[in-house]
Amino acid sequence: MFHAKKPSSMNGSYENRAMCVQGDSGLVLTTDPKPRLRWTVELHERFVDAVAQLGGPDKATPKTIMRVMGVKGLTLYHLKSHLQKFRLGKQPHKEYGDHSTKEGSRASAMDIQRNVASSSGMMSRNMNEMQMEVQRRLHEQLEVQRHLQLRIEAQGKYMQSILERACQTLAGENMAAATAAATAGGGYKGNLGSSSLSSAVGPPPHPLSFPPFQDLNIYGNTTDQVLDHHNFHHQNIENHFTANNAADTNIYLGKKRPNPTFGNEVRKGLLMWSDQDQDLAGNQPLDDEHRIQIQMATHVSTDLDSLSEIYERKSGLSSDEGNNGGKLLERPSPRRSPLSPMMNPNGGLIQGRNSPFG
Amino acid sequence: MAMNYPYDDFLDLFFSNNKAATASTSSCVEQNDGSLDMDWDVDFRDLIESMMSDEGAPTESPPTIPCDHGQEGICNSASTGFSVADGVDDAEEPNPDESKGLRLVHLLVAAAEASTGLDKTRELTRVILARLKELVSPSDRTNMERLADHFTDGLSKLLERANVQRHSSPHQHRDVHHQVDVLSAIQMLQNMSPYVNFGYFTASQAILEAVKYERRIHILDYDITEGVQWASLMQALVCKNTGPLTQHLRITALSRATNGKKSIAAVQEAGRRLTAFAESIGQPFSYHHCKLDTDAFSASSLKLVRGEAVIINCMLHLPRFSHQTPNSLISFLTEAKTLNPKLVTLVHEEVCLMGNQSYLYRFMDLLHQFSAIFDSLEAGPTRAFVERVFIGPWVSSWLTRIAITADDVEFECFASWKGWLETNGFKPVDVSFANRCQAKLLLSLFNDGYRVEELGQNGLVLGWKSRRLVSASFWASRDSSNQ
Repeated sequence: MFHAKKPSSMNGSYENRAMCVQGDSGLVLTTDPKPRLRWTVELHERFVDAVAQLGGPDKATPKTIMRVMGVKGLTLYHLKSHLQKFRLGKQPHKEYGDHSTKEGSRASAMDIQRNVASSSGMMSRNMNEMQMEVQRRLHEQLEVQRHLQLRIEAQGKYMQSILERACQTLAGENMAAATAAATAGGGYKGNLGSSSLSSAVGPPPHPLSFPPFQDLNIYGNTTDQVLDHHNFHHQNIENHFTANNAADTNIYLGKKRPNPTFGNEVRKGLLMWSDQDQDLAGNQPLDDEHRIQIQMATHVSTDLDSLSEIYERKSGLSSDEGNNGGKLLERPSPRRSPLSPMMNPNGGLIQGRNSPFG
Repeated sequence: MAMNYPYDDFLDLFFSNNKAATASTSSCVEQNDGSLDMDWDVDFRDLIESMMSDEGAPTESPPTIPCDHGQEGICNSASTGFSVADGVDDAEEPNPDESKGLRLVHLLVAAAEASTGLDKTRELTRVILARLKELVSPSDRTNMERLADHFTDGLSKLLERANVQRHSSPHQHRDVHHQVDVLSAIQMLQNMSPYVNFGYFTASQAILEAVKYERRIHILDYDITEGVQWASLMQALVCKNTGPLTQHLRITALSRATNGKKSIAAVQEAGRRLTAFAESIGQPFSYHHCKLDTDAFSASSLKLVRGEAVIINCMLHLPRFSHQTPNSLISFLTEAKTLNPKLVTLVHEEVCLMGNQSYLYRFMDLLHQFSAIFDSLEAGPTRAFVERVFIGPWVSSWLTRIAITADDVEFECFASWKGWLETNGFKPVDVSFANRCQAKLLLSLFNDGYRVEELGQNGLVLGWKSRRLVSASFWASRDSSNQ
């Protein structure tokens, strides 16, 4: 979607169907009834330089920019609208935030992006800004992922502690009941009020035990510190629950959905859960090839479709009474993780796995 | 006479191939000994109708089925026609599972309808339930069968109790399962479905964002149950506050005398567990137990500290000691608003929310909700245990609740929590990007049919296929400053 647009195919307010003439000042103006300024590559570059000199788009004003640029024929009006577009180009997410409440606005943010990019003729600079925004979002998503992991673990520990306490209470009750029964001469009648747990199903499984993230090399150097101290496998309650077996790990963490294309399909998911060597048949354990690296993409490759998905997903947010109705926050495909795809420096997609937990 | 039974629409929701619902003349022969020799393939609507009209019982007007939410997406109104059973062509014979399932739904609805009738229909109810018991068992293969078994059980219990005393006590205690079993079941449920944790994590994330710059945090927990929600919040605080900027957390948990001694003991135990946990991770923490003798909460019974941010937390999506009537929550929130809370979290089941609906409508809504829950749970060796220990009692308590309030006009006479909050001095608080991410991430760990949908700007709702299961929304008192 994001191929470089030829200047003649600009959309938005810069309709350029008519001829363009070059004026004396070096500005390119159109010849339609209302002469519009064409923001050429050089002009935009000067604009960006001027803005940078003035301390950024928020600090710069059309007046000051005009002075710094010193281009004859450039009016405040031109600069005002261009500056506005430039500012918008720097904050795409904010734009979505506003638009998500308006009807039929989901496409507009992307359009503005395209407008700004194409009208300036300087694809790469705005793309960089947008890229940085995307990177920011991705980073936020990764933070969420990391935090969720820790929270689930903490909750699991707590669940375990209350279970232990409940078992102790149970044991105490049984002891009391047994002694009462014995002293009453009735003989011990077995597990009075005991947990039906052991008879029903066998020992309950571990609390939430996610497989470690060891194969998820997403943080580069910081991974190790984050992941090392995670011990995802809690100790069993000795008295009441025996160690569970491998079969029980299937209970956890859900994903047992059969995936016929698994391993063949190009994985666009960021989340790679290792599975402790237990997995659906036919899948290789993660190795270096499958690790996902975050790279500062040097160029935006063909995968801009997926970048835009982030925006579409975000801008597809609906209110329940809004005109978007209850549009679902649907993942783009059932197999993809909710987080965006990552690119490696070669411009291709990382092939990985989205395996279920063990 | 022609009647527009509400469950026609609901049946569409259950089955795509609803051809089986053909009316036929009732053939019912009454034996000499008074028992009814039923033709079990008969459509019961006719039968009940004839019985009702014989007695001159007032018939219910068909309830309007408003759809509170947008037309697209998840909507729990009967007018949407989604199908649970996939892949069945119109041209083909309905598959046996589906037709049995349909029959079970018919029977259940008939039983429910009969159970609200006068004495004569009680016998009919018993007969229908007996028939149901023949058809289903807890170890059946299909979800519908096992679900029908739970509903049959629940209705049977209601019937027994109604025989014993005309009006049941409003405080229905859970079936007696030992606490160990219940806790284990909850733990297993957390692994089988995001239902539990969606509520906890979404609310906690909103809380963390609201108190980001606060030194002291005071959470007033409407119904703390075991306090599971707070473990992850504490961990998040500890994780974030490396260094001198430790935030102090204080939790006040309410207990109501009307819920019995067990609930009071549970609140105290939760306090002990949370205190121990906080200590183990190094989070400054203090716990207060606010005992309410009556159901009425008064802000003056709270100990407040100057400069603390007050958070109101209402988790209503899991079965508790006894269902609080909405009025109880309403009075609580009205009173709690005077504390100027920075954030109010409200998580509740998306069932039986419409005010002023008939008993039958609520019954169908309940059936629909639980069939979605059943479908959404992952299969596994622990599933039977969870169904028996946790979901069965949950169904029973809901059935009790809608039955005893069938005559209660006061019950849920408002349209929705959202409407009430908005018109009673609360303003919505936006859901953040991080929160939405977290919810989607959580869902990605489970079965494929789960969805997260926005609920306005200030809420998220978890759904299974097209059924909304549980929603979380965030509010603040209108007077509270700095968002």
